[in-house]
Amino acid sequence: MTHTVTYLGFIPLLPLAGALVLGLMYLSTCQGKQISERIYGILGCVGPVLSFLMAAKVFFALMSLPAQERFLTHKAFTWFAVGDLNVSMGFLADPLSSLMLLFVTFVGSLIHIYSIGYMAGDKNFGKFFAYLNLFLGSMLILVLGDGPVVMFVGWEGVGLCSYLLISFYSDDPENVVAGNKAFIVNRIGDLGFVLGMAFLFWGIGADGFDYLSLKANAHHLTAPIGLTVCLLLFVGATGKSAQIPLYVWLPDAMAGPTPVSALIHAATMVTAGVYMVARFSFIYAHVPVAGEVVAWIGILTALLAAIFAMFQSDIKKILAYSTVSQLGYMFAGVGVAAYSAGIFHVFTHAFFKALLFLGAGSVILALHHQQNIWKMGGLQSKLPITYWTMLIGGLALAGCPPFAGFISKDEILYSALATGHVGIWAIGVLVAGMTAYYTFRMIFVVFHGSPRDQEAYDHAHESPKVMTIPLLILAAGSLFAGSANIPAIFGGHQRVSHWLAPSLVEHHPHGGLGLEILAIGASILAFVIGISIAYRKFTVKVDEPDYQGLYNFCYHKFYVDELYHWVIVAPYQFAGKAISRVLEPYVTDAPVQASGWLYRMCGLAFKVVQVGYVRIYAVYMVIGLSILSLLVSRSLNF
Amino acid sequence: MVTHYLSLSVILFCLGILGVVSRRNVFIVFMSIELMLNAANLGFVALSRLHVNMDGHVLALMVMAVAAAEAALALAVIILLHKHKGNLDTNIFSLLKG
Repeated sequence: MTHTVTYLGFIPLLPLAGALVLGLMYLSTCQGKQISERIYGILGCVGPVLSFLMAAKVFFALMSLPAQERFLTHKAFTWFAVGDLNVSMGFLADPLSSLMLLFVTFVGSLIHIYSIGYMAGDKNFGKFFAYLNLFLGSMLILVLGDGPVVMFVGWEGVGLCSYLLISFYSDDPENVVAGNKAFIVNRIGDLGFVLGMAFLFWGIGADGFDYLSLKANAHHLTAPIGLTVCLLLFVGATGKSAQIPLYVWLPDAMAGPTPVSALIHAATMVTAGVYMVARFSFIYAHVPVAGEVVAWIGILTALLAAIFAMFQSDIKKILAYSTVSQLGYMFAGVGVAAYSAGIFHVFTHAFFKALLFLGAGSVILALHHQQNIWKMGGLQSKLPITYWTMLIGGLALAGCPPFAGFISKDEILYSALATGHVGIWAIGVLVAGMTAYYTFRMIFVVFHGSPRDQEAYDHAHESPKVMTIPLLILAAGSLFAGSANIPAIFGGHQRVSHWLAPSLVEHHPHGGLGLEILAIGASILAFVIGISIAYRKFTVKVDEPDYQGLYNFCYHKFYVDELYHWVIVAPYQFAGKAISRVLEPYVTDAPVQASGWLYRMCGLAFKVVQVGYVRIYAVYMVIGLSILSLLVSRSLNF
Repeated sequence: MVTHYLSLSVILFCLGILGVVSRRNVFIVFMSIELMLNAANLGFVALSRLHVNMDGHVLALMVMAVAAAEAALALAVIILLHKHKGNLDTNIFSLLKG
C-alpha cells in the first residue's frame, strides 16, 4: 500500500536549485564586484532549512499512517526504458529514508549556518556554499531515490562534491592530491556498486527495478547471485563509507574546510554505505555469509582505525579516524542483521560527530588554523562554550551513559552478542575502551593543563554566535538523541527500531536479561578504563612524545598508505609509463602517424602548382576551361 | 559577315586573357576582365542578329548589369588591397603559395 505525494520531489530539488543559483551568482561575479557574504549565506541556508521543514512534514505524514502503509512515493518522470529495464526518476519516503532525511537535513542545515561564521572572509565564499548545497542535494537524492539507479545518481553526486570540497583550498597542491585520492578510491568502490546493480538486475530486475518491486521479488534470487550482489554492493559501501581496504581516503579528506569534514562525516557521504546495506536488507537477510563478511570487515576497521586514532596529533585526523572506527561499528551492526541498530548509530553519530567537528573547527579558528593538539592546551577558560559542547560530544562518542552514543553502540554490541558473534562483541568492547581513551586524550590535551603555545593562547577567543548556536543545538541532540531508542531494560520502548520495522527485514534477537546486563556492563567498564588511562596520562603536563619504534609505526598508520603506494599505485604508474613510452608511440600511434605522413607526401607533389600568384591561377583556369569546352564541343559533334 | 564580328570577339577575348595573365597591376587585370566580358557581349549580339532572335540582346544587357555590379565590388576590393599593402602589384598578394 503506497501513497503518492508530489512535494517529495522538492526536498532534493531545493538545495540543488540553491546550488544552481549560488553557482551562477558566483560565476557572474568572478571578475568584477563581489556580492556580499550575507546574501550568499542567506541564500545558501534557505534551501537546506526548507528541505528540513519538508522532511519534517514527510515524517509526520508517515506517522499519521498505519505502520504497514508508511510508504509515500512520487514518480517525477520516466528516465529511460530499455527492454525490461524501466527506470523512472522516482522518490520513496518510508520509515528508513524519512529518518535519514530528517537528520541529514537537520544536521546539514546547522552546518550550513555554522559555515557562515567559519568561512567569513574567504574569497570563494559563494563557491563554497554552492558546493555545499549541491552536496546536500545529492545526498537527498541518494536517500530518497526509489531504486538503485536513482540512488546511484546521488551516490556519484556526493562523490563528486566530496572531491570538489576536499580540494577546496586548491592553492595548495597537497589538498588537490587529497581530493583526487578521495575521488579515485571512491571510483573503485563505485565499480563494485555498478556491478552489483547489474547482477541484481540480472537476477530479479525484470519485474521492476525499484526497492518495493525488488523486495517483493527478493525470494526469487538464487543463492550464488544473491551472494555476488551482496559482496559487490558492499565493495561500493567500503569505498563510500571508508572501510577496509578503501578507508585511506577519509583521513586525507581533512584537507577540506572543517564544515565540509563535518558534513562528510556526519550527515552525508560516509553514512551512505550503511544506509545502502540497510536499504537492501531484504537481500542481505537471505545471505548470512555476506552479513558475516560485512560484520567482520566492519569490526576490524573499527579496531584498526581506533589504533590509528590513539596516536594521531592532528585534531581533525583524530576525529577522522574515530569516524572510520564508528562506521566500522555500524557495519558490524548491519552485518549481524541488526539493521535498525546500525541505522540508529548512524543517527546518533550524526549529532555528536558533527558537534565534535564543528567544535574542532571553532578551536582551529580560535588558534588561527593550528591543528596540532600538541600546540594547544588549557583552552577550557578561553573557549567555554566550545569546551562544554565538545565535552558532551566526546562523552557521547566515548559511550558514556546516558549519552546518545552509549545507547546506540550498546545496541549494536548487544545484537552481536545475542546473535552469537562473541568475537565481534569482544573486539567491539575493546574498541569502545580505545574510543574513550583517544577521545579524552584529545579533550584533555586541548582543553586542560597549561598552554603549550603561550602566544596562540593569548590571542584565542570564543567564536561568534552563528557558530556557537549550532554547537549548542547539536550538544542537545547528542544528549537526547539516544532517548529515541531506549532499550527495554531501562524501561524504554525502542521507538526507532519499531519505527524502522516496515522498511527492514530483520529479526530482533532475544538473548535474555543476562546477556543484556553483560553487554552493558562490559561497555561501561571499557569506557571507565579508557577514560581513566587518558585522565592519568594527559591531565598532567605532557609534551609531544617522541615517535619511536611501535609508536612511530602506529603514528604512521602502519604505513598502509605507503604499502598501497608501492603495491598498487607504483606498479600502475610504471605500467602507465611503459605504455606511454613504448606501446603508444610505436604500436598504436605509428600507423596513424604513417597514414598522415603518406598524405603529406602526396600533398608535396601537388604543392608545386600552388605558386600563389593570381596570374598563374588564371592560366590554370584558361587551360582548364579550354580543355572542357573542347570536350563539350567534341561530344556535341560540331 | 557574322564571322568578322565573331573574329573580333575572339581577338578581344584573347587580348583580355593575355592582359590577365601577363600584367601585374591589379587595375590592368581588372580592365582586362572587363574587356573579356565585352568580347562575350559582342559575340552574343552578333549571333542574336544572325538568328533574328532577341535572346542574345537580353543576355548582353544582363552581362552589362552584372559587370557594373562587379565593377563596384572589385573597385572596393582594390581600395582595401591598397590600404592593406600600400601597393597594387599582384605578386605581393601570394598568401595561397603552397
